[in-house]
Amino acid sequence: MSEPTPEQPSSAALTPETVAATTATAPPQAAVNPNVQRQRASQLAQALRLELQKALIGQKAVIDDVLTALIAGGHVLVEGVPGLGKTLLVRALARCFGGEFARIQFTPDLMPSDVTGHAVYDLQSEQFKLRKGPVFTNLLLADEINRAPAKTQAALLEVMQERQVTLEGRALAVPLPFMVLATQNPIEQEGTYPLPEAELDRFMLKLRMDYPAQDEELNMVRQVTRSSRADMLDVTPLRTLLQAKDVQALQKIASDLPLDEQVLDYAVRLARATRSWPGLAIGAGPRASIALARGGRARALLRGGDFVLPDDIKGCALAVLRHRVRLAPELDIEGLSVDQVLQQLLDQVPAPRL
Amino acid sequence: MRLTDASVAIRPRSAWEALDLGVLLARRHAGLLMASWALVTLPIFAVLCLLLWESPGWAVLLFWWLKPAYERLPLYILSHALFGDTPSLKQALRALPGLLNPQLLASLTWRRFSLTRSFDLPTLQLENLSGQARSQRLVVLGQRDAGAATWLTLVGMHLEMALWLGLISLFYLLLPQQIELNWSWQSLIDAAAGDWLWLEHLSNLLYALLLVVWEPVYVACGFTLYLNRRTALEAWDIELVFRQLRQRLTGVAYALLLGCGLLLLQAPSPAWAESASSGPLPMEDPFGPQSERLLKQPLSSQAARQSIEQLLDQPPFEHRETVTRWRFGEEQQTEELDQGTIKNLLKLIEAFFKLGEFWKTLDGVALFFEALLWAAVLGVVGLLLWRYRDWLSTFVGRLGPVQRRTSAPPSQLFGLEVAPDSLPEDVASEVERLWAEQPRAALGLLYRALLSRLLHDYRLPLKSAHTEAEVLQLVQGLEQTELIDFSQALTLHWQNLAYGHRVPPADSLHSLCAGWRRQFDGGAPA
Repeated sequence: MSEPTPEQPSSAALTPETVAATTATAPPQAAVNPNVQRQRASQLAQALRLELQKALIGQKAVIDDVLTALIAGGHVLVEGVPGLGKTLLVRALARCFGGEFARIQFTPDLMPSDVTGHAVYDLQSEQFKLRKGPVFTNLLLADEINRAPAKTQAALLEVMQERQVTLEGRALAVPLPFMVLATQNPIEQEGTYPLPEAELDRFMLKLRMDYPAQDEELNMVRQVTRSSRADMLDVTPLRTLLQAKDVQALQKIASDLPLDEQVLDYAVRLARATRSWPGLAIGAGPRASIALARGGRARALLRGGDFVLPDDIKGCALAVLRHRVRLAPELDIEGLSVDQVLQQLLDQVPAPRL
Repeated sequence: MRLTDASVAIRPRSAWEALDLGVLLARRHAGLLMASWALVTLPIFAVLCLLLWESPGWAVLLFWWLKPAYERLPLYILSHALFGDTPSLKQALRALPGLLNPQLLASLTWRRFSLTRSFDLPTLQLENLSGQARSQRLVVLGQRDAGAATWLTLVGMHLEMALWLGLISLFYLLLPQQIELNWSWQSLIDAAAGDWLWLEHLSNLLYALLLVVWEPVYVACGFTLYLNRRTALEAWDIELVFRQLRQRLTGVAYALLLGCGLLLLQAPSPAWAESASSGPLPMEDPFGPQSERLLKQPLSSQAARQSIEQLLDQPPFEHRETVTRWRFGEEQQTEELDQGTIKNLLKLIEAFFKLGEFWKTLDGVALFFEALLWAAVLGVVGLLLWRYRDWLSTFVGRLGPVQRRTSAPPSQLFGLEVAPDSLPEDVASEVERLWAEQPRAALGLLYRALLSRLLHDYRLPLKSAHTEAEVLQLVQGLEQTELIDFSQALTLHWQNLAYGHRVPPADSLHSLCAGWRRQFDGGAPA
């Protein structure tokens, strides 16, 4: 697909020293040569991917998608049955990433102010002081997000889109890069509050975690049982590969990747096709087109390419679209899933040529 | 039996009211009725259960079959209680053997399934009728209230079922949670017969218990229905009024009689005037008022009658309505058709024929309109198909069997001409010629030629939705190393050019062209 050298270094050549060197030297060289800078960036991204794969075994596609969202500056909603390592993935990402990490366990009695923060009266100074909530961080894990009622979920709306929180009438910016990783459980619906469309639309990607393949599960069980912590994989041995500013640099580089008109047109056509597709009751909005283009850029960087291919768009289309569309009731009754219908759509929207 | 002693108000009632009265009656004597019933039936049930312990079904069937025999006791109690002579429990039980005697066999065999059982019972038991007399009596009695009696039995059957199921559920609900866990219905069905016999006997017992409550009501309702029918038939209420009248007037009557006698003692003598009658009585006119009279007067009776009849024919006295409706079987009328109507009919038919001939001349017009209508129908169907083509392709397409798409590969793919005819004869030299001025067109031509070859020579199921990488994957499925290498190289260069806007170096072009020649122009079919 792409040239094997030098854009795709083999994993064996990627020693910690080179990674550290690239991390350290990437920003100064950024101004010098965009090509070199891009290569460094994709090396860094791939090192991050390898590191995450050490922690989370057998979910390569999900790891790729999470990194795509990180590079594209979007938020991720991870859905999967319990025990597939949703939270582990996020903790591993936080571990590899030097920025701040906060976690909110969403519970039915969680209040919006528990998320965003609030003003408290200080007896000493006889003044109100703002107490910032856990949302002021780089990486926010919203665990079991659908356990909290809609009003608490709505506390995330502003910060996810504007990357700022309005407290006591003052707009406070959250530190950049800011990324929300929310998890939810698809099977247990009792006592949960489905996410509203507005909230869903703000997630760039919705990922489905499936059970690992047999050999991967075998491998994982072997590692876990060897670990000192009884029943979970350890994330402590992971190395911190990048700092907050590196992530911003990655995002900057990704957004500079050339995107051909044809490919952009393909992304827009995909999103538009969902609106008139007979199997879908509600199609995706313009945010889907934007997310497709940004996701394509991020995947291209992750792949090590110098430009965006239609494959990059197509690769993230399912994750971008599946939570933004609603299935027609007839198909719902027939038992088709959104993924199946979207796959049909992807099979029929012509890919760009010439 | 003295009607004046009856503890209920005797008057004609509707059948349902009579049933209501029966319920009331049963309720008033509930204790006695239920106790006597329980004392009689429960021991029998126990004996039956013990005798037929292995087959609870037969036990309950037998118990159920004997119901007419038990029903005689409540009727005995009720018939005595109605006239204030309520027997004690001991008296009732002592009377039982005597009650069972008459016609027990008939009650338990061919009359067992009679739907009016409780209604018929008093005829047998209280009137002591049998054979012909009984059946005649029943016909007379059953003229009016038999329907209600049948309904009573039917409702009773359902009530028994409902109460029985209710008791079983109640019993099940009373089980503690821990025991209930072990009681899956499956195991109830599958369990070895011995383990669950007692459970079946228990449900039978529940049935026997509910009969204690229901059967007295049933018998009482039948009895009051019977009473009601006899009240209507024999005018008991009127008799009752007369009896009361007699009671009230017994003292006065003698005095009245004496007074009347004294009054009538003075026989009237004939009046003097009687003998001096003025003349012969007028002859009885055989026609009476119908005969014509007043013939010499200006208004004769005939004329007067006519005018009266005319007046009576007019609206205030006469209201006429003409009702026309369809009805079957008008044969008489057709018989009455006289010649004239038949001729008219013939004329009409002839006219119809003529009309038909006239229409034949208009056949062309009819044909035209028919064609027009069919065209409209087809047009509407076509329009609908076109209008809902998306829907059909989505929903109907998936219904049919999956068709193999071995038919002619598309000539246009990805918006490109990929039919072999649209490509130049010698692709490689054409590419080399184009390279100098339009590298994009040259590489595009080469890629297009590759796709065309893949489609037509290798029969790859390419679709327009396939991206380059997916095409490559399909090629790898062919497992031809040279083709794979060539396709990879070409795709890489093509992607670089198309999406990365990077012109590949010239020597790569030569290697690509060489690869093309080696791959396709050499041995593969053109």
